[in-house]
Amino acid sequence: MNAASRGTTLAGAFTRLLEMLRPDLLRFAYWLARDRQVAEDVVQETLIRAWKSREELKDPAAARPWLFTIVRREHARLFERKRLPTVDVDEVEALGDPALASDGDVGLFDLRRAIMQLPDEYREPLVLQVLGGLSTTEIAAELNLTQAAVLTRLFRARNRLRTIYGLEPAEDVE
Amino acid sequence: MSAAGPDHRQARLHIGADPQHLPPDVVAHLEGCPDCRRFRDETLALDGRVHAALELPLHRFRAKAPPARRFALAASVLLALVVGGGFWLFRPSTALAGEVVQHVVDEADSWNMHQPLPPAQVADVLRVAGAQFDSPFPIVYGYPCPFKGHRVAHLVVQTPNGTMTVMLIPHEQVRRRTQFSRDGMSGVLVPAGQGSVALLTRDGAVPEALADEIVSRVRW
Repeated sequence: MNAASRGTTLAGAFTRLLEMLRPDLLRFAYWLARDRQVAEDVVQETLIRAWKSREELKDPAAARPWLFTIVRREHARLFERKRLPTVDVDEVEALGDPALASDGDVGLFDLRRAIMQLPDEYREPLVLQVLGGLSTTEIAAELNLTQAAVLTRLFRARNRLRTIYGLEPAEDVE
Repeated sequence: MSAAGPDHRQARLHIGADPQHLPPDVVAHLEGCPDCRRFRDETLALDGRVHAALELPLHRFRAKAPPARRFALAASVLLALVVGGGFWLFRPSTALAGEVVQHVVDEADSWNMHQPLPPAQVADVLRVAGAQFDSPFPIVYGYPCPFKGHRVAHLVVQTPNGTMTVMLIPHEQVRRRTQFSRDGMSGVLVPAGQGSVALLTRDGAVPEALADEIVSRVRW
């Protein structure tokens, strides 16, 4: 295989990778922005930036955390550039955003609302971990926190969700 | 964490923060601590729900249209259902087929893939979707898609009869083989153990022998 056709094959593989991961990138962007249109914009910017930087991705297995990191940065960049207003969570709920719909599973809908209401500092590491598959070490590096701080935030995020799930909250940790 | 091992509080911090990846000393603590084991089990159950909650339904995820456009859209969808697809409205047994078609329409780009996926990538998709499939044909697209509250393997294979979507649906049973067609697509739902397999093509009907060949290679 010559260099040109190898380049074409790699570009095709990268495109497929982006297509495969796009749904979860959109979900992650939504949980960050809590607005569907902003989430679409963030993912669009992310895909463009990822395409331009594709040479940086040496290991396809690392694509997921790599792309989640780009989403997070594009989200921050978009807010900085456009000075978007902060989303009012009560308003999102009042609108009955269909993005939160759960096909009759009331518990799931309540849990989505509860996650939506988590403070950014708890919601972001939780989504990075559960949806993005990032380790606590990777989250600490991404959020510029100590690993102990990440553990505490993740603990508190889940602890707030326990009551929604019908469980007693655990004693808080320092 | 102390040299003597974690206390309850430290153990619960780790369990609450990262229940899937506990350090060895926390795992050792769980051996002798029923309360922390219960806390771990509760947290793992909660985590499953959190995972499901975070996987938002993307088919409802389109940008909010202005009310007038929403009305026009709703009207056109209704008209299409009544005129072209009354079949779907009045025959409950085809509801699953309708959702399969809608899912494929929502992921129309999946038809445009041509390069075979690496086996490891296919294995990942199948693992997440809880299915086994020894495909007789090259798989050119694969994703563990959210579908009716579960993950299902959404695959596209290149068969001698053309490109075909294969959806492995372990959580939905169909009583009998059901053929359907809509929007230029033809398909068949085939019973497969406790689940079902949906096959769709844009190249005419799905040949029965081909459907049998594919379904015979599916395990849950």
